[in-house]
Order: sequence, then structure tokens, then C-alpha cells
Amino acid sequence: MRYDGCMKLGSLLYHYLVPHEHNNHRARALHHESLFAYVLLLVIFNLSITRIHKQAPDILGYATDIRIEKLLEATNTKRQEQGLGQLSLNQTLSQAAQNKAADMFANGYWAHNSPQGKTPWDFILSAGYRYSLAGENLAKNFDTSAAVVDAWMASPTHRDNILKGGYTEVGFAIVNGVLLGEETTLVVQMFGTGTSNERAQIPQVQAKEPIAVQVPQQPAALAMEASAPAAARVAKTQNLPFVGGVHIAPLVDIPAVTHQVAYMFVGLIVGVLAVDAFVVWRKRLVRLTGHTIAHILFLFVMIAGSLSITRGSLL
Amino acid sequence: MSVKKKIQHTILLHNAVLLCILLGGLSTFFMASGNKPLQIYTGLVLAVSYVAWGIISHAMDGSLHRNIVIEYVLIGAIACVVLVTIAL
Repeated sequence: MRYDGCMKLGSLLYHYLVPHEHNNHRARALHHESLFAYVLLLVIFNLSITRIHKQAPDILGYATDIRIEKLLEATNTKRQEQGLGQLSLNQTLSQAAQNKAADMFANGYWAHNSPQGKTPWDFILSAGYRYSLAGENLAKNFDTSAAVVDAWMASPTHRDNILKGGYTEVGFAIVNGVLLGEETTLVVQMFGTGTSNERAQIPQVQAKEPIAVQVPQQPAALAMEASAPAAARVAKTQNLPFVGGVHIAPLVDIPAVTHQVAYMFVGLIVGVLAVDAFVVWRKRLVRLTGHTIAHILFLFVMIAGSLSITRGSLL
Repeated sequence: MSVKKKIQHTILLHNAVLLCILLGGLSTFFMASGNKPLQIYTGLVLAVSYVAWGIISHAMDGSLHRNIVIEYVLIGAIACVVLVTIAL
């Protein structure tokens, strides 16, 4: 009885995976209806992931752990490695970064300048920071603080900002929300060198509030720098405890699931195609089908290319 | 040129074109690294190019059949859906 069951399973697998006379010399798993079923199944899988994520982001979501203190630490480590001085965290710059992030979500843009023409420097000045030198890095949809800083360091313009010797202070904002219809964790890093050590005469309302806010979405990075004529006064660096960030720990991480499913799926198809090519070559079969080896190469290239796709991006 | 040599020459040409398409697609993927929409677009263009290559290749050696066209379209579709799945 058990032996029969094993035999049946063996025959079924043979029928589905190996070309022979009973499946028209083409593994059943490679017949048109099977290929069409794979497409359909994957589309349903993708739609289900998207829908479940929208309805229950706590269960199925994007795991994120980005914290201001870690961003500061990693930024200063990179500077120290180049023999540069450490940047101190400035509350006013962090507020400017926070205002910039809020404006990007409110007006739905992913750019250095807002659709209304506001530049990063407008945000810095309006927060009360007077600078002789300022810069901005943006990032979105990275999953860890280290990944954000590593991506900035890999980009020449962002790296220049991090390693600019003229900067003395930095501010951060990490905001999670929906940007351009996509869940986004936005990271804004603003650099500055004040014109004096005096505190600006602008009320620092948010000084005790954490700079990071939770709104659901991805990371993007932006790098700009500017040297502006010295303005008036500079907001003094705050010595208040300044911690914050976005920490999202869903039950199931979407990229982990989708990657596993996709790689397993392509692995199976490529495996069946390889068996097919081998059997056809061994038996010297002549069939009216596509080029199996070409299919394998094409799928390999698509998978290799997709390995370079990351959610995180820099502007 | 003998018939055998002509066939070999055609096969070589087809393979060279396929190699160019695949290597071009792969390098574009990496050059567009960090730009997800461009990478997805690259994948779609690569899939369409592959399907076109398959059809033209079979048409040139006289083995083009409706089933072959369907097979290439389905393989291209699978690759595209897998790409979108990974990019989710």
C-alpha cells in the first residue's frame, strides 16, 4: 500500500519533471498551461501580499530599524576614519530636517526642492539656524541605520557631504509615512556650520520632542550642499537627550518572503528546464519547442539583475 | 558557402545577438542600481527583447510555430512577474 503510494508519487513527478513519450517529450511542468498557471499564481501571490500589507501592516510589513543615535554614530565613525572632527547633533537642524520631511509627505514630492520652490536652505533658515555652510542628504526605504549610511558613503555626492571638513553640526529626521502612494521611511540629514555660537532668537518649540515621527513608508537619500553668505546668528547645539527613530517589526517581513518565493520558484523552473535540455540532448530528440538553454540563460540574467534591486534609494 | 557552414554561421549570429541582449540587460540593471523604477523598466525591456529574439530566431531558421511564440511569451511573462515579486 505504502509502496504503491510511493510508486504513484514517483510516476507523477516523472510525468511532471522529465520529458518522455507520455507527456509528448516535454515535462508537464513546462507545458503552456503549466507556464500560464505559474504566471497566474505569482500574480495572485503579489496581489495578496499587497492587500494583506495594506490591511494588516503589523502582520505583513517592511521591517525597519533606523535610529538617530545610530545614524549620528555611523556618520561620525566615517568622519573619524578620514581624520575629520565629529559632528555634534543640533536640535535646530534636526527640526529643519523634520520640517523638510513633513513638507515632502504633505506635498508629495521626492526632491531637494519642493514643487513650491522651497530649497533645503529655506527649511534650515526658517527653523532658526544661521549658517555659513550647509548641506542635505536624503534617503528613503532602507531597513537599518547602517544601510542608510553605507548607501550614502557609496554615492560620491552624499559621501562628499558626510566627509566635508567644514561642517561642525548635523541634524536628522526619520519619518515613516505614505509618499507618492508608497509606504516610505524617509531619512533627512542636514549639515551645517553656524555663523556664530549665539542662539538664534527664534523660539525652539520642539526642542524636547523626538525628531522622528511615525507615518508609514520607505527611505530615499538626497545630497546637496551649499555655501551661503553668512547670515545672522546660529542656533546653539542643544545638549538635550536626543533619541528617536522608526522601529517597525512586523510578524512577517515582505522582502524576506517575496525573495524566498521568487528564488525558489525560478530555481524549480530552471531545474526542470535543465533536466529537459539534458534528456533531449541525451536521447537526441527533435521537438518543435523554444531554445531551452536560452530560457535558462534568460532567467539567470533576470534573477542576477533583480539581486541588485533594493527598496532603498538616494536622490 | 556550404549549407552546413551557412547554418553554423546563422546559429553563431543568433547566439551572439542573444548574448548582447543578455549582457546589455544585466549591465543596465547594475548601472541603474538604486533606481528601482528604472531597474523594473530594464527588466521589462529585456523580457520583450528576449521574446522578440526568440521569435525572430525561430522565424529565420524556419521553425516558427504558434506554440513557440506562446512559449516565449509565457517565459517572458514569468520573468517579469518574478521581477515584480522581488521588487515588492
